[in-house]
Amino acid sequence: MKKLLTPLLIVIAALIGGTGVCRADDEARPVVSSYTLGVGSASLTDTYLTPLHYRGTTWQADYRRLQAAPFHPEKLTMKLGVNLDVAQTHNPAGNATMWEAMLTADWGVMRRWSLLPTLTLAIGGEVRLQGGAFYNARNGNNPASAKAAATIGLTGLASYTFRIGRLPIRAVYQPSLPALGAFFSPEYGQLYYEIYLGERRGLAHCAWWGNYFALDHLLAFDLQLGRTQLRLGYQGRYLSTHVNRLSSTASANLFVIGITTEWLSLSPRKPSPIPLIHAY
Amino acid sequence: MLTKHFARLTCELAATLTLAACAGDDAMPDWADTPADNFDALWTIVDRRYCFFDRKDVDWQAVYDSYRPRISDEMTREELFDVCAEMLDELRDGHVNLVSGFNTSAYREWWSGYPEDFSLRVIQEKYFNFNYRQASGMIYGFLPQNIGYIYYSTFSQTVGDGNLDNILYYLSTADGLIFDVRNNGGGELTNVETLVSRFIDRPTLVGYISHKTGPGHSDFSAPYEIIYRPASEGRQRWGKPVVVLANHSTYSAANNFVAVMKNLPQVKIAGAPTGGGAGIPFSSELPCGWSIRMSSAPMLDALGRSTEEGVAPSPGCEATIPPGATDDPILDLAVRLLTE
Repeated sequence: MKKLLTPLLIVIAALIGGTGVCRADDEARPVVSSYTLGVGSASLTDTYLTPLHYRGTTWQADYRRLQAAPFHPEKLTMKLGVNLDVAQTHNPAGNATMWEAMLTADWGVMRRWSLLPTLTLAIGGEVRLQGGAFYNARNGNNPASAKAAATIGLTGLASYTFRIGRLPIRAVYQPSLPALGAFFSPEYGQLYYEIYLGERRGLAHCAWWGNYFALDHLLAFDLQLGRTQLRLGYQGRYLSTHVNRLSSTASANLFVIGITTEWLSLSPRKPSPIPLIHAY
Repeated sequence: MLTKHFARLTCELAATLTLAACAGDDAMPDWADTPADNFDALWTIVDRRYCFFDRKDVDWQAVYDSYRPRISDEMTREELFDVCAEMLDELRDGHVNLVSGFNTSAYREWWSGYPEDFSLRVIQEKYFNFNYRQASGMIYGFLPQNIGYIYYSTFSQTVGDGNLDNILYYLSTADGLIFDVRNNGGGELTNVETLVSRFIDRPTLVGYISHKTGPGHSDFSAPYEIIYRPASEGRQRWGKPVVVLANHSTYSAANNFVAVMKNLPQVKIAGAPTGGGAGIPFSSELPCGWSIRMSSAPMLDALGRSTEEGVAPSPGCEATIPPGATDDPILDLAVRLLTE
């Protein structure tokens, strides 16, 4: 893991440049949090389970958080995300169901540029953990295909604020692109019973774009109706692995709806940067 | 509009990268739901996944050449099923099944070629006068010679540790134990481990397992040792003599149980050779929605021998039951083995 993190730290250091360290203790760093639910279409393929393509519906709950970093807050933005998705899909004949469930968490740091008062761009690196499974109940001894990965990769942010009439709107685009890491896969015909018995050789694989490709991107519009904003948007997820002569693909296109809020966390030990009226 | 554009961009990017990366993997053609494509899909899936081509000396390409001309676009689903089932019978494997909504194919020669030689009713009536106990899918009790008897009909019935404790404690004063798995068609291998753990007192090598590492007929992993551990302290174990009863209808996980027990020092196998079934089945499916199940991961016994064709009784312990018998000579033989 240390080897994997090194390139990420180098990228971040390069983006920071030669600027000296600046502490954020005296500055307010509001948190932008988005909570969304999504629904859309899903497509699953996993040749460990079946040679057929399954199609159906996916649902997800997504949390994203953006905040200026505690170090170099004027230039760096931290991101944190957690996504839980479930998909129910059917084979072409419509007589079998395959489920997919995946939990994804990522944390990253981005170098931020405010090119215009209304336009902000950022690019950086992230660490991503993902785990879940495909489950096809009709298969007796091979009903499930487990998924697990730990990766580092690229992430970015583009934010543009505009108005439609008197309504301020912020358009946000956030892509995530894992690049290197490790992921789990059984061998071509290996049964999970063998793994249960202790046959665990060759289950972990180095991930790179030749055998592991994932892309997650969100295009959202935050409608600033009040202090809480209504978020509407599109989210696309794609995960494809090719290892041990096995192919697995999960893709989804979702409509997302939720809220975006901006809030400030204050320490009672430090003076507040703004006047406060406490609830109790 | 923007949403639609991004959805399309995602799909196109993904498709491009997938095509670039998937060369050499197990991706299969996009078969249509036609008789020809369903037949080709079935043949290809079995060709890549089945594990006993070499052992059974089956020329699968020749099988394709023989059966493919019988497929036509005009044939009905039932006609297609019959041809596919006939083709699968060439594998001579009871673990190969084609499952549709109207039929399930099965190779039955491993048991249908032998006369019926087991009657649970005879045991229940003549040996126990219907006075026996049952728990966790097992019938058990004492025979008059102070021999414990357990009949286990299917390894699909989960064996509870608490139930086993009760059963073995109840029988603990017996001089020996008969464990009957005749007509047991198999089930879960984890139940084999649960049972065997009561008959061993140290970690024991009970066999090997391997799996396909690719679509080639000889692409197998190195055999991996299967080691069972004894039941934990406080659980009831059995160290006295045991006779396991088997017949031609003892198959799959039950066959594995017999193979494992046969190599334990206090155990003898009596009856007839088991039906075999030493390849753990793997499932897949066809474009029309039929499911196909086939042996995919071969198992070997502790001496490295395949038991796909069955496990023979211990020397001198072969016995059969004549059709229409009103007693059970195999059970009688087991009692003699434990008392004489």
